[in-house]
Amino acid sequence: MTAKAKTRIIMAKFGLDGHSNGIRIISKWLKDAGFEVIYMGLYNTAEGVIKAALEEGVNIIGCSFLEGSHLFYVKKLVQLAKEHKMDNINFIVGGVIPPDDVLKLKEMGVKEVYTPGTPKDVILNGIKAIASE
Amino acid sequence: MVTKANEFYDAYLTGEKPPNYNTLSGIELKQFYTARDVRHMDEVPGKYPFTRGIHHDMYRRRFWTRRQQSGFGTPEQSNQRMKFLLSQGQTGLNCDPDVVTHLGLDPDYPLAEGDIGLAGTSISTLEDMEKLFQDIPLNKVSTTIIVHPPTSAVLMAMYLIIARKMGIPESKLIGTIMNDALNQLVGPTLEAVERFFPVEAGVRLGLDVMEYCVKHMPRWNILNINAYNMRETGISAVQEAAFALSLAADYIQRLMERGLTADEFARKIAFFCSMDIDFLEEISKIRAMRRIWAKMLKERFGAKDQRSCWFRTAIQTSALPLTAQQPLNNIVRATIQTLAAVLAGTQSIHTTSYDEAYALPTEESHKLSIRLQQVIAYETNVTKTVDPLGGSYAIEGLTDRLEEEIQSLVQVIEDKGGFIECFKQGWVEEQINEARYEYARRIESGEQVVVGVNAFKEEVEETRIDLFKQASDMQEKRKQYIIAYKRNRNQEKVDKALDRLYKEATASERVNLFIPVSEAVEAGATTGEIIDTLRKAENFEIRL
Repeated sequence: MTAKAKTRIIMAKFGLDGHSNGIRIISKWLKDAGFEVIYMGLYNTAEGVIKAALEEGVNIIGCSFLEGSHLFYVKKLVQLAKEHKMDNINFIVGGVIPPDDVLKLKEMGVKEVYTPGTPKDVILNGIKAIASE
Repeated sequence: MVTKANEFYDAYLTGEKPPNYNTLSGIELKQFYTARDVRHMDEVPGKYPFTRGIHHDMYRRRFWTRRQQSGFGTPEQSNQRMKFLLSQGQTGLNCDPDVVTHLGLDPDYPLAEGDIGLAGTSISTLEDMEKLFQDIPLNKVSTTIIVHPPTSAVLMAMYLIIARKMGIPESKLIGTIMNDALNQLVGPTLEAVERFFPVEAGVRLGLDVMEYCVKHMPRWNILNINAYNMRETGISAVQEAAFALSLAADYIQRLMERGLTADEFARKIAFFCSMDIDFLEEISKIRAMRRIWAKMLKERFGAKDQRSCWFRTAIQTSALPLTAQQPLNNIVRATIQTLAAVLAGTQSIHTTSYDEAYALPTEESHKLSIRLQQVIAYETNVTKTVDPLGGSYAIEGLTDRLEEEIQSLVQVIEDKGGFIECFKQGWVEEQINEARYEYARRIESGEQVVVGVNAFKEEVEETRIDLFKQASDMQEKRKQYIIAYKRNRNQEKVDKALDRLYKEATASERVNLFIPVSEAVEAGATTGEIIDTLRKAENFEIRL
């Protein structure tokens, strides 16, 4: 990947869940792999992240959850993206997600869900594939 | 690393062995240890510096407390779970409020709605606390309340008031308020902590609570240094121990500056440490911490009472080595970790459930954690002699080595002005971020083998386990509850109490704020309103 063609990705946690191990590590891996990471970190609203994506023209959003608020926030994000007609937006979810909810998230339109223990290559290749779609 | 069938055979031919000989902290283990590796061989349990245990009889007289953390949803739901745990042989309570409560907010706070009751129980009002402890005899069951300042002042006050209503005087209460200002929120990350309350003001309010408890509650522990949450970020055993001991030293210093002597409060300070999967290192870590604590209290802080030199710790078996892959393997891991905690001579244990890489524990997995501890307590006989590993060259050698490493890191922190200073300067955050990346790198590279994750993987995983599910209407119900509560109470009384709290908090001569906080609780103010008043007094706005 050349410097000019850097893929941009927003990385964010939502609500009050402060568990930041996963998002920190994945953000670092992405940076090391040549992505431009817009690290929004902790305590975001769905509205705030969608606004940032629109302003920055970013179409990949990595969402990290540990405490169980994933369905609540992804539903909002998907709804907002629809309202703003963001047709080529891609949501990626990472974190502690029960298997049944992985299916639900995918049904909602989330491209990939990465649970603990997913190898680095799988995550990076998955996101690269989404970026080159 | 061994992953495919032909690689297995190759490995058998050349000898199946670990990828390196280091501990998790990076200490290279010797091929074998001898008497020459050991500096201390003449220590006995129950005698200074207590390396081998704080009591001479340890579990022969009393097992560790089985103290599984619990908390989810509404206070009523958590009360049911706590009573279930007690009925299964749990011997102490360990309640965890939700993140909304931890941060000093109410369920009607705008950003809270998706997080209410998820990873703990929602406690906003005095009646919430009453429901949480309904039918539980607070003078017979010891309770740990997992909460940090500033909210610790509110929950401590609630607990005292409901006890009084039950007819139990505060002098009879047994338990612990964690009260560690820096480490509750997923390890000591500035990114999380300083957004909701100023760090120094939090520490100060925590000290107010400690001071009150020292003076009025002889059987109550005033501070539980949360080493566990720090460790879960991926730092080493050496860092965990050094950070925790340094922070404790800061607190001791500050309590002494308030005119207390170490012997008045040191025996009421305890720790909450992690037990990772590195069996020998983790046992040695706890032994080393006991020795360092005893020496620190005696030599640096002038403690004379030997109880001040007792390093007491609660343990949670680390969730870091637990995996979402092949989740039943986690029961095996937790067994090894729990056994390590017992062989290390610790005071209470929470065995992390095998399903926690997916969700909060179910009743079933919670019960299994208790049974696991009961099997170790009653069937293995490791409890029948104190510090059975004492005198092992490897354990004693490693204890000495860890003592040195921990001690030198404690000195580094001391030279930088202490842990709280290092935290505020962002130094701790840097250490933690480095450790997180390094931890992930070791697993990625295979230096650290995790069965089911980077070795012995299964292509198609069929294991299905029953997982905990929250009631779907719980969050909305809680939100409506607090809105209705605020509408229906005597507002004048609340306003008056909050005014008084504000005045006390902004008075030119600083006073202990625990009493005015307690009066606000009694007047019907909520967790969020009380903490908001304190924020206002500090001229602080939540930074989102």
